[in-house]
Amino acid sequence: MRSKKLNQNPCESCPANAQLAQMGLKIGSFDRVVALAGNPNTGKSTVFNALTGLKQHTGNWPGKTVTRAEGGYVFNNIRYKLVDLPGTYSLLSASQDEEVARNFILFGQPDCTIVVTDATALERNLNLALQVMEITDHVVIAVNLMDEARRKGLEVDTRSLARDLGVPAIPISARTGEGMQTLLMTVEQVISGEIRTQPRRVQGPPELQQAVEALTSKLRQLIPEMPNPRWIAIRLLDGDHRVQEALVSGELLELVQAQRGADVRFSQKIALQGHQ
Amino acid sequence: MTEASLTSASDDSRHSTSRLTVKDLLSSAEALRPTLGEHFRDELVNSLYREAESIARRAVRQKDDHHYDLDQKIDRLVTSPIFGLPLMLLLLAAVFWVTIVGANIPSQMLANALFSLEEQGVAAFNWLGLPWWITGFLWNGVFRGLAWVVSVMLPPMAIFFPIFTILEDLGYLPRVAFNLDFLFKKAGAHGKQSLSMAMGFGCNAAGVISTRVIDSPRERLIAILTNNFVPCNGRFPTLIMLATVFVAAAFPPALASFAAAGSVVLVVMIGAFFTLAVSWALSRTILKGEASAFTLELPPYRVPNIGRILYTSLIDRTFFVLMRAVMTAAPAGAVIWVLGNLSVNGMSLAAHIANFLNPLGVLIGLDGVILLAYIIAIPANEIVVPTMLMVYMGAGMMTESPDHNFLYHLLVGQHGWTLLTAVNLMLFSLLHNPCATTILTIYKETNSKKWAIMSVVITLGLAFLITFLTASLARLAGWVS
Amino acid sequence: MEWVTFVEVLLVVFTVSVIFFSGRGVIVQMRRWRATSERQRIEDALKLLLDYQWQQRPISARMLAADLRLSDTAGLRLVNIMQRQGLLETRGSDLQLTTEGQRAALQMMRAHRLLERYLATEARMPLTKVHREAHRLEHTLSPAEVDRLEADLGYPRRDPHGDPIPGPAGEMPSMQASALTAWELNKPAKIVHLEDEPPLAYAQILAEGLRLGQEIRILEITPQRYVLTDGDNEYRLAPAVAANVFVEALPEPSAAANGLVPLKALAHRQKAEIVALDDACQGFTRRRFLDLGLTPGTVIFPELLNSFGDPRAYRVRGTLIALRDEQASQIWVRPLNAQ
Repeated sequence: MRSKKLNQNPCESCPANAQLAQMGLKIGSFDRVVALAGNPNTGKSTVFNALTGLKQHTGNWPGKTVTRAEGGYVFNNIRYKLVDLPGTYSLLSASQDEEVARNFILFGQPDCTIVVTDATALERNLNLALQVMEITDHVVIAVNLMDEARRKGLEVDTRSLARDLGVPAIPISARTGEGMQTLLMTVEQVISGEIRTQPRRVQGPPELQQAVEALTSKLRQLIPEMPNPRWIAIRLLDGDHRVQEALVSGELLELVQAQRGADVRFSQKIALQGHQ
Repeated sequence: MTEASLTSASDDSRHSTSRLTVKDLLSSAEALRPTLGEHFRDELVNSLYREAESIARRAVRQKDDHHYDLDQKIDRLVTSPIFGLPLMLLLLAAVFWVTIVGANIPSQMLANALFSLEEQGVAAFNWLGLPWWITGFLWNGVFRGLAWVVSVMLPPMAIFFPIFTILEDLGYLPRVAFNLDFLFKKAGAHGKQSLSMAMGFGCNAAGVISTRVIDSPRERLIAILTNNFVPCNGRFPTLIMLATVFVAAAFPPALASFAAAGSVVLVVMIGAFFTLAVSWALSRTILKGEASAFTLELPPYRVPNIGRILYTSLIDRTFFVLMRAVMTAAPAGAVIWVLGNLSVNGMSLAAHIANFLNPLGVLIGLDGVILLAYIIAIPANEIVVPTMLMVYMGAGMMTESPDHNFLYHLLVGQHGWTLLTAVNLMLFSLLHNPCATTILTIYKETNSKKWAIMSVVITLGLAFLITFLTASLARLAGWVS
Repeated sequence: MEWVTFVEVLLVVFTVSVIFFSGRGVIVQMRRWRATSERQRIEDALKLLLDYQWQQRPISARMLAADLRLSDTAGLRLVNIMQRQGLLETRGSDLQLTTEGQRAALQMMRAHRLLERYLATEARMPLTKVHREAHRLEHTLSPAEVDRLEADLGYPRRDPHGDPIPGPAGEMPSMQASALTAWELNKPAKIVHLEDEPPLAYAQILAEGLRLGQEIRILEITPQRYVLTDGDNEYRLAPAVAANVFVEALPEPSAAANGLVPLKALAHRQKAEIVALDDACQGFTRRRFLDLGLTPGTVIFPELLNSFGDPRAYRVRGTLIALRDEQASQIWVRPLNAQ
């Protein structure tokens, strides 16, 4: 039924053209870190392969990416390091892969996180997207498998999605390369601040809201620049010891300060090179 | 770790003022927690999903209602109560058949090419007047080891891996896990264990790594310790040789390849039986516990991207496994040559060792030569057959694979192999200890020497026990002397 | 006979490694037992004394020794040690816990019940074996480890038998349950606690098939037996055993009366709406279910059977998810009318 695509030369489908130079494994130095999150079976690894050209094998069964894979790409002369996180349904269960994914988004401080979603099962995928958006503001939703959705007679309105979520939502189809350039452009704009995101935060039951507010105001006093006090508050209420330890040891405070420092250094560098 | 960072934090005056407040914060979190209901986590997830649902509802519109029809039809067939399991076995047999038949001719061609290269190399060295032992060591030892492994392993791998990858990409493997879960549940193990077993066909080390998809540590350990009962790619040459020499020979030539594939499937099923039996035993002894929760997503079928599959399975897997085999085969070839050519009391070292091991070998229905081959093959199972043939023929070097009639006469006629030898070699090959790479991987994955050692003890113990039992039974029944 | 030695060596190596390497090996266990037996005895005594105190029954040193299966002299020695540690004081022949002793006893109970919860819901140990294993492990945990266990389990309020779990400062969640023997005929009730001591009675309760959270009423009371029903099955208990079953009034009409069925019982392709996850489903499994989108209000239906009938695959939120029958029986659904 899709025999045309099957006969295609596989490299026609990788967007290795114009601005995108593939770096494969040579990722010694880079300017920006982008994380790739998503549910299992959303074609996350296909996106990863299409972007990096690293032909990492990905089978079609749940949880096959069990460690982080890393690769790189260059877009508009900026070198990006792309980190493929394990596919998870959520970040709350504290299973091994969920912890890897969550810790990277929180402590790895990627400059942007792409949440790959399956256009044919959006509501399931948005659950994870909403959780990622609690941790970080710099999120781009990639609505993958658009071709599959069309085949199934589904119409996905990504503009409505972006409006509701408060972050960009880009329709893509990693297998054919559809929308990949726009995705990379959007990632760049989110990092540079050209696009300002306002992630939708889910309120939860009223007694939780009260408790969260009480803790959030304390957190703001403690670490004023903290980007995600709400999420930290919820984790504390849940008794998450990794987050508790990070607070006690001052690791979280250092992260927040390091991130600000890196932002300043990067804009200086870009200004010197005259890219912006 | 926390304490260390605490002291380092207190050195820093900026932190020490905030540390007090951190404590305050943590204690107010403790104080607030009881004000939340018992199931506030539930409530949190509920509200996330409710939100996701309403956002998705606004963004997605279903135009017509014909979706996932084909998927459902395939699923109903593949998991059907009547056809599900036979279909799975048939598919497995088909994969083996294509591998055996397809690899035959390229294997022969590769062997011819590489061995004629060896002849020329030897001739060139002789012309240069180099001493015989340099020529022998390099060409008849190291190079022949490489040539054997490449010609025996490359064609089947280049066929097996892409086919297997297609099944993987299609989404068939989770259906296998779904079909077989019932058996694993009975054994106190996890249904996803069949996913790691499927990986084990390629390479047991990769199978061990893939057990990470199992959440429960107990069930993951079971999956790790039993992964070796799936014969990996390196053990297929032994099984295929046995199948063609002893089973297929009894069938008319037209059916021979089917008989060979069928008997390999039978061996795989015996392996699956031992996997389940050992899992069962483990979950009742040293890894006690009930089967944990099992949730498995059955993803929609996806049309595999053939180009990418060929690329990944050939470059990534085939090349990777082959390189590993080559790295181990070269030194092993050297060792074999040395053992075959160093003589003590007019007999080669290899023959001495084989004679020493012989009583133990005979006890379990094998012989000393086979055991010697398995000891040399600890780094890589691929070289079991060539080592065996080398010692049998007294050739002092690994031999080209002669045709099946010749093998039959060599093994049965000259070295007294019986059906028991063949059956027990098959069982031993299936059950014996994991190769060095796999043991190392188990150590890395479990982070424990104890479990790495256990994996050897269990498999080797079982291999000796089972072969000893079959041998004793055969002797008691008078089938062999 | 060279090979005989060979086989012997092999067998010895095999046995020895089993003894040494399996953490439950003979030698390891002997050593563990000797080092901790005294502390264990003290901790057991603490729990026992707390139990008597709550039931407002007096206890003497002799009774304590008998309950702990110690000789009288060993019992007296134990009382002396505990007195010296300030855990215990005597009033006449009666033993009484000091405030310090009470605190220590509550800490023990906390560790024990959290461990039971862990063993039952995360390690998936059968309920009948949970008590003994928790009893073995409770003596090895430090208070900090206990706190961490509590957080990992998501701050449960009750152990798998329905007993309340004391907080870090020893506070007890309140519980108003009455024994089945004090309950009225035919009045609907929910089982909130199954006493696990003595083990024999507990095993009988479990063998009958009663479980926490089950909604029942008493059909018949005779001096020989209590007959209960949950609407589908009848359960028979001796009065002495029935006294170990504790119930609470139903807050709302019962699940069965509401037309709820477990997901497992749903007919093939019958659509239904998830109403609740069973109370028995806790810990990692519960979180996993929720994360997969098995939340109340979700529409679900069985779509695929397999060769053995278990597991089945359910279509939920656009995805096929396979669940074993055991798990599917912990999800309560309301069948929807066919469109």
